[in-house]
Amino acid sequence: MTETAAVRVGGSKLTHRYGRRATGVHDLDFEFDAPGAVAVTGPNGSGKTTLLRILAGLLRPSAGETNVSVAGRDHAPKQRRAVLGLVTPELEFYEEFTATENLVFAAEARGLASPARAAATALERVGLASRSAERVAGFSSGMKQRLRLAFALLHEPPILLLDEPGSHLDEAGREAVRDVVARFAARGLVLLATNEPEEVQIAARRLELNGHGLGDPS
Amino acid sequence: MPLDASSSTATVWAILRKECRSEWRTRYGLNAAVLFAVTALTAVTFAAGRMPDQPGMLAALLWITLLFAALSSMSHAFVREVESRTLLLLRLVASPTEIALGKLLFNLVFLCVVEVITVPLFLVLTGAPPVRWAPFLLILGLGTLSLAASSTLVGAVIAQTRSRGALFAGVSLPLLLPVLASGVAGTRAQWDGMPIDADARLLAAYAVALFGVSLLLYDHLWED
Repeated sequence: MTETAAVRVGGSKLTHRYGRRATGVHDLDFEFDAPGAVAVTGPNGSGKTTLLRILAGLLRPSAGETNVSVAGRDHAPKQRRAVLGLVTPELEFYEEFTATENLVFAAEARGLASPARAAATALERVGLASRSAERVAGFSSGMKQRLRLAFALLHEPPILLLDEPGSHLDEAGREAVRDVVARFAARGLVLLATNEPEEVQIAARRLELNGHGLGDPS
Repeated sequence: MPLDASSSTATVWAILRKECRSEWRTRYGLNAAVLFAVTALTAVTFAAGRMPDQPGMLAALLWITLLFAALSSMSHAFVREVESRTLLLLRLVASPTEIALGKLLFNLVFLCVVEVITVPLFLVLTGAPPVRWAPFLLILGLGTLSLAASSTLVGAVIAQTRSRGALFAGVSLPLLLPVLASGVAGTRAQWDGMPIDADARLLAAYAVALFGVSLLLYDHLWED
């Protein structure tokens, strides 16, 4: 992983609208350095997922800008996949492939030196090593969530973006997530979109979103 | 986005291998394409009999069979990623251009496999006169390249639209008409003992133009 002090994530006057009325994120300014974890909190529709998608370079904001800097080098949105790992409920895997095959493909596509070893290490970290040869089609939602975490950790990025990482997980799974986040946050930067009190507690810093977003009835 | 050549090559290669493995496991497109080709050829030869003295009809039958076999399956390259919600995984490990190039190579491989099965079957069932292999394969190869390039481009563009099935056929057909016309004309010309240069040049130019336009467009795909 990259040296901790050199990781910085920020946003300036960040706004994103869906259609004419719904606002995902509104006029947001923030800046966070590694190491550590930041809890991104707020009611449903306040823009937590939108913010992570913008930071990951998957969504272009309606206004404002974001910056992701690692080791003094700024990464444009389209280049950010190299320096961050994203866990989101929207991420699905190839069901006809095993867990290992999915991760080996991702490692090969990322150009990692030892795809098989990277996949095995990532699966070990999230407690899926014993199920690595099973096809994803037979995975429970909790196992898929663990696989998402393994996918995000695969290339050992300096930045982790986690969108409700504890969802679909049993207590053992949530404990594993907290453990991974705590270990990762000691060296890198974790942005954790959640409203779960236990997950919020992991983070020393907090970014509260109050935008009137998609899920806001007002 | 500027791409590092070696890492991009590795990424495109990884996507191609993933596509081939996925197709091998599911037979998603191959079964449909081969079934269409075999059914169409068998039905036509049952109805019209063998037609060794009708090179124009033979050339049209060959290209119509290849075209629709390809259309019935190649849109799946992108549509399947959207429907199974795996496009996000791809976007997190590769640029749109790398994804599209991997899909283009897969579509080329896919078409070659379909042709390896379909063309001998076509030659046997229809009683086609002996082909002049060099011009025949040149026209077939250039037509295949154009077919794959246009199907990949259209598949990528319509992947996230709602009526993608109908759109794929609707948008593809006008794009593919020049390929169909030149393919038929060139294939007939080689049976008639005529030069195929003009048709080959047109197919090559069309393939290059489609490929060039695709490279310009791919990096702007899927920008939300």
